[in-house]
Amino acid sequence: MGNIKTGLSPQKLKSSKGSRQIHLTGWLFVLVPVIMISVFYFYPMIQALILSFKTGRGSSLHFTGFDNYIRLFSDTTFLTAVKNTFIYLIIQVPVMLVLALFIAVLLNDERLKFKGFFRTAIFLPTVTSLVAYSVVFKYMFGAEGIINKFLVNLHLISEPIQWITDPFWAKVTIIIAITWRFTGYNMIFYLSSLQNVDKSIYEAAHIDGASAFTQFLKITIPLLKPIILFTTITSTIGTLQLFDEVVNITKGGPGNATMSISQYIYNLSFEYTPDFGYAATVSYSIVVMVLILTLIQNKVGGDKR
Amino acid sequence: MRIKTGSNNNTKANKDTAKEYEYKMIRWMRSRENASIFIIFQINKGVYVVKKLLSIMLASVVLLSACSTGGTKNETSNSGNSGAEGSTQAKEITVWAWDPAFNIAAMNVAKEAYEKVNSDVKINVVENAQADIVQKLNTGLNSGSTKGLPNIVLIEDYRAQSFLQAYPESFYELTDLVKADSFADYKIGPTSVDGKQYGVPFDSGVTGMYVRTDYLEQAGYSLDALQDIDWKQYIEIGKAVKAKTGKSMLTLDPNDLGQIRVMIQSAGAWYTGKDGQTPTITDNAALKEAFVIYKEMMDSGIVKVISDWSQFVGAFNSGEVASVPTGNWITASIKAEASQSGKWAVAPLPKLATTEGSVHASNLGGSSWYVMNVDGKEAAAEFLAKTFASDAELYQTLNTKVGVIGTLKAAASGEAYSATDEFFKGQKVVSDFAAWTEQIPNVNYGMNTYAIEDIMVVAMQSYLGGKDVDTVLKDAQKQADTQIR
Amino acid sequence: MKTKRMFTYLFLIIAALISIFPFIWMVISATNQSVDVTKGTLLPGTHLFKNINNLFSSVDMWQALWNSAKISVVTTVLSLLVASAAGYGFEMYRSRSKDIVFNILLASMMIPFAAIMVPLFQMFAKVSSVVPFLGIDTAAAVILPTFTTAFLIFFFRQSTKMFPKDMMEAGRIDGLSEFGLFFRIYMPTMKSTYAAAAIITFLNSWNNYLWPLIVLQSQENMTVPLLISNLGSGYAPDYGLIMSAIVITTLPTALVFFMMQKQFVAGMTGSVK
Repeated sequence: MGNIKTGLSPQKLKSSKGSRQIHLTGWLFVLVPVIMISVFYFYPMIQALILSFKTGRGSSLHFTGFDNYIRLFSDTTFLTAVKNTFIYLIIQVPVMLVLALFIAVLLNDERLKFKGFFRTAIFLPTVTSLVAYSVVFKYMFGAEGIINKFLVNLHLISEPIQWITDPFWAKVTIIIAITWRFTGYNMIFYLSSLQNVDKSIYEAAHIDGASAFTQFLKITIPLLKPIILFTTITSTIGTLQLFDEVVNITKGGPGNATMSISQYIYNLSFEYTPDFGYAATVSYSIVVMVLILTLIQNKVGGDKR
Repeated sequence: MRIKTGSNNNTKANKDTAKEYEYKMIRWMRSRENASIFIIFQINKGVYVVKKLLSIMLASVVLLSACSTGGTKNETSNSGNSGAEGSTQAKEITVWAWDPAFNIAAMNVAKEAYEKVNSDVKINVVENAQADIVQKLNTGLNSGSTKGLPNIVLIEDYRAQSFLQAYPESFYELTDLVKADSFADYKIGPTSVDGKQYGVPFDSGVTGMYVRTDYLEQAGYSLDALQDIDWKQYIEIGKAVKAKTGKSMLTLDPNDLGQIRVMIQSAGAWYTGKDGQTPTITDNAALKEAFVIYKEMMDSGIVKVISDWSQFVGAFNSGEVASVPTGNWITASIKAEASQSGKWAVAPLPKLATTEGSVHASNLGGSSWYVMNVDGKEAAAEFLAKTFASDAELYQTLNTKVGVIGTLKAAASGEAYSATDEFFKGQKVVSDFAAWTEQIPNVNYGMNTYAIEDIMVVAMQSYLGGKDVDTVLKDAQKQADTQIR
Repeated sequence: MKTKRMFTYLFLIIAALISIFPFIWMVISATNQSVDVTKGTLLPGTHLFKNINNLFSSVDMWQALWNSAKISVVTTVLSLLVASAAGYGFEMYRSRSKDIVFNILLASMMIPFAAIMVPLFQMFAKVSSVVPFLGIDTAAAVILPTFTTAFLIFFFRQSTKMFPKDMMEAGRIDGLSEFGLFFRIYMPTMKSTYAAAAIITFLNSWNNYLWPLIVLQSQENMTVPLLISNLGSGYAPDYGLIMSAIVITTLPTALVFFMMQKQFVAGMTGSVK
């Protein structure tokens, strides 16, 4: 358990007769995506990298060396966007993943009744498009929206919270919205992995008298490690590229209180007089951040070979 | 249990080995005392159900689309090849615009009129959201390919210069076809570059103050009292309305400084100087006064804060505000609540109290038509020249059918413009708006309206938060200077 | 034990309610006319059919639904095939060089789409003049750059880590070819993983907005999200209409989930013993 075997260890490959052929077959499996991603991602990415050293409006661009990258550090809007994005990252991602894992474990209990209903209900937010749910949340969290009416009626608050127009609460609203939308999404990954886990392991642990919590800590977590790492990395990337929610719920406001990096890229490319060069530079700042975070996450949670 | 034999040619294994393997697999599972065999069994069952459902769904989708496309198929086959490419032979003109109830509807009126006379021209109107058009246009123009670009595109006036100057080769000059002096003066700034006319000015964004006369009467004001006021007096009236009726005077969205833009344009000022480039945030009397008034409004408790367009519309539809100082295009939304008929009137916009040259007219929004420099540009330009650029009669139809108030001066003398509106107590609303349109001060929106506005929104936040107005504007100026290059 | 049960149910009920509530609100809004939606009415109205009627008469919803369905189904099928083969290949035939390639592929997830949009559009604009059916304004142009995602390859690879590898050795000894192993053993065993991947891919494809927006031009090729986006812009949007459009577009994705989740159910009930 936790000890993951490789399908084909290098030694085995060497010893078997058709090792060369098997090796080639392995490459055949990955050939198509390597080509596709090279053509449709890396080629444009290289173009974007070149673009990030240029500046100018519209299509009249010229090389400026590292000017764009230096500009980043004196660009207060960019720095605010980075700060906001990290606030989302640090608070929202852990809360959502813990919640998703918790729900997945609860739902994986075979004695649970109405399992289908709960699973469907909690996954349901995932089926909405980002734009659609953002619009709905904007209405619900309006100053006179249903959320405030509800809270006032329950006497939890005495006057309406300015969910959208107060700098602090606007961030809270964004965090609530993303958590609502993506908890079920991550839960489904955990759930599908939990199903691949051999139930007899839990039975054995149960007979050994291990508490539910111990089972969770000693069995579930290690077994789900690959998928937890996966969700952490994808959620991190998702948060760093956060766009639709912010644009549709708060428009980045009030002021720049909820502005995300991706929204800033969008503004630089389309909302203002387009400067695709500088926009590409800001994009590459995301790449650098994701790269660093992924490396850290891999170090902390990755499987050692 | 069956293992599905895929349609895979590479597989050497025949059915026998498959069967043998199946047996081995079962044994493997048993040996591990594992219940997974049931999983696979169940999954296969599940797959069957899913497959069946999928085929039913697909079949129904095919059926439904076959039924529904019956009508549209004919249309598209008539139109021949779409896009700018085919327009040289078939004289097809592709138009991009947004807002089906307004711009698209207006374009369709012009299209029908034109196609009747010119049977060899086919106008193909494609509907896209405004933000979507901006994105598509930028991506297309930036890629350097004219592929997929329309012949005619609608661009908002605030954005026009940014397109015209960033992609100077991409728009077709219309100087000979569009007479600049036949349009409202303020529309020429955004639609031309260095005296060359590129756009055909379309709708007027002329502002007025929509007021609930019933609320005002309760507060002791008649409509006559509103004809010549400044924003300070407006706030005083607002306080009285609030005290007497409990209703707010207006709505404000702190993320959208349209109110500020309206106030500064009424004094002929903008975020940038006459060149449309240099930010003029400090030493801008109009802007400073607008900021101060904005805060006074907020502080005096007469504002209902909103965060989005639907709340803006909802506030006056549900009778929560006594006035709506905004562009004339809101008329349709105001009249949507039919039960309020006879309660509304339109007064001139209040002006700035201390800034010199401020008038009772300003602008909010509005857009114009542009011809792209792609194949078929001549036909497209010809179409615009014959319709939106000259046809005063067309504007009468546009006004009665769609509610458009144009900026073609000649249109103002038409009969539709002098009609009375019962919803507004018989006021000649259109005629009033047309008169105000001609008074709007001409300002150069430049290329950076939205970039600077985002800076101003932040500035406004810190000003409302208690900072000194001069400091806030100085900071904003500094940021604008570094950001705009 | 009893109280723990109670807590579990209470927690799940609250979570389910929070998840469902916005949907109820959405449906209620779709039954009201625009004026009432903007006022924030919470009572069901009588305008549902009128809204739907208006929607279908003002825009070609059927065409958009068909376009979206076509693109999403093809994308999903191709995605699953390519990504699962790759995830399998990277994990089962693990080698140093493949690990490096894998990590490079992962880097493609990191760049925001906005940054590669212009070069990508340029590419398709060029293709257009040579092979029109792959160029701008075709379904192929929407599908091609989107069906291979590092995300899905990553997902399949991570899931493959839990796959019992002894099975492959056994199969190999039995004389199954390498591809045979993949199609005969791996695919059937990983059904619940495929189901999860299919749901996610279909949803992403159905809701994809930015790239179809850029690459699709003519009205008859537009997908559903583009239509919805059109409805919301303008001086006087009809909010009742928009809400009914949102409800209608959410239905197919919900349907796909309901269908695919049989997989999970199957997996779960099957393991009870």
